[in-house]
Amino acid sequence: MRTRGGILLANIVTGLALGFTVTNIGFGDYAELNRMFTFQDLRMLLSFAGAVVIIVCAFALLRVRRTPGRIHAGVIPGAVLFGTGWAISGGCPAIPIIQVSSGYLPALVTIGGIVVGVRLCRWAKGRRYVRIDSGSCEL
Amino acid sequence: MSTYWPWWAGAIGLAVLTVGYTLAAERSFGVSGAWDRVLHWRRERELERAEEEFEEQFADERDFAAALAKAGTDHFATLAPEMAPPAPSAPPVRSHTESPSGPPVQQPSSGLDDASRVTEVPVAEAPLAAPQRPAPLVSQAALLISIFLGGLIASLTSGRFHLRLDMGPGFRDLVTASPVGMVALLFAGGVLVGFGTRLAGGCSSGHGLNGCGRRDPVSIVATATFFGTAVAVSFLLWKVI
Repeated sequence: MRTRGGILLANIVTGLALGFTVTNIGFGDYAELNRMFTFQDLRMLLSFAGAVVIIVCAFALLRVRRTPGRIHAGVIPGAVLFGTGWAISGGCPAIPIIQVSSGYLPALVTIGGIVVGVRLCRWAKGRRYVRIDSGSCEL
Repeated sequence: MSTYWPWWAGAIGLAVLTVGYTLAAERSFGVSGAWDRVLHWRRERELERAEEEFEEQFADERDFAAALAKAGTDHFATLAPEMAPPAPSAPPVRSHTESPSGPPVQQPSSGLDDASRVTEVPVAEAPLAAPQRPAPLVSQAALLISIFLGGLIASLTSGRFHLRLDMGPGFRDLVTASPVGMVALLFAGGVLVGFGTRLAGGCSSGHGLNGCGRRDPVSIVATATFFGTAVAVSFLLWKVI
């Protein structure tokens, strides 16, 4: 399914499934998230880790090609900033969207922050303030 | 008892949608990448148009090369230099090794400048073969909107939808009870998430699910780092601050 329509359909179905699934797992609930990160409740952690294990097995069975990614200079600092922001705001890039759809209106502020952060990063790279080719995990 | 899904249901759900997307679209998805492209839609649309124009040119040239090869090597070896169309200029190419904001990568021109190349290079292995293109811009916007709709369906059907002006008791107890402080911290956290994910090249869906699923070393390092940092900061919020 490589046509534009096919990819569009795949994105719509995946987006619906992702929003439905992460909301029902509880990723939009800040208290649940903190309990996961402090290992008070392993349910969400096992959901994520279990998903990765299943995906690894499925990709191996389906012979999905492995990606020889280059560990660039932006990985560690970027991931540290992301982890800090996630723990404080409770939102990775998809979570504030489902927080709003669950009724948490202040998550709109988080989305505003993500918009600024994403634009700021591209601006910094364009101005060569950040001389890192961080690429994208999207293939 | 928690009203949320048990861990195994969540694991199956996340795995099914990730594997399903990979099979259907023959690529992987990343929410932070979708944000990045949608927020820079003007630039991304220009790149898409340039790529489409190049593909049209490439298709014409590929047909021409196939016709030359079919007609016979000896006969066209002397005619091709005069008949060959001008080499198309390569489009700006976005690959996962190049920052979307960086200068476009120019592929080396590999037009039909020599008749022998026309006959020696199989069409299927032509050096102009385009790399995997990112998902169309409109589909990235659809992904973000669909996440909202999927979340809305889940919260409505589970009875958890409740319009509120705070982030819940967890945020109030662990981070701040002040409305001004809440807005400031949510915004600051959002900036860190947006900047950090683009600097690291992915987020929990791109690096965490798709990248780790492919056993990509950069994704494993990124996931371990952002998860480890979130654990440390969460413990600070819980036990210290």
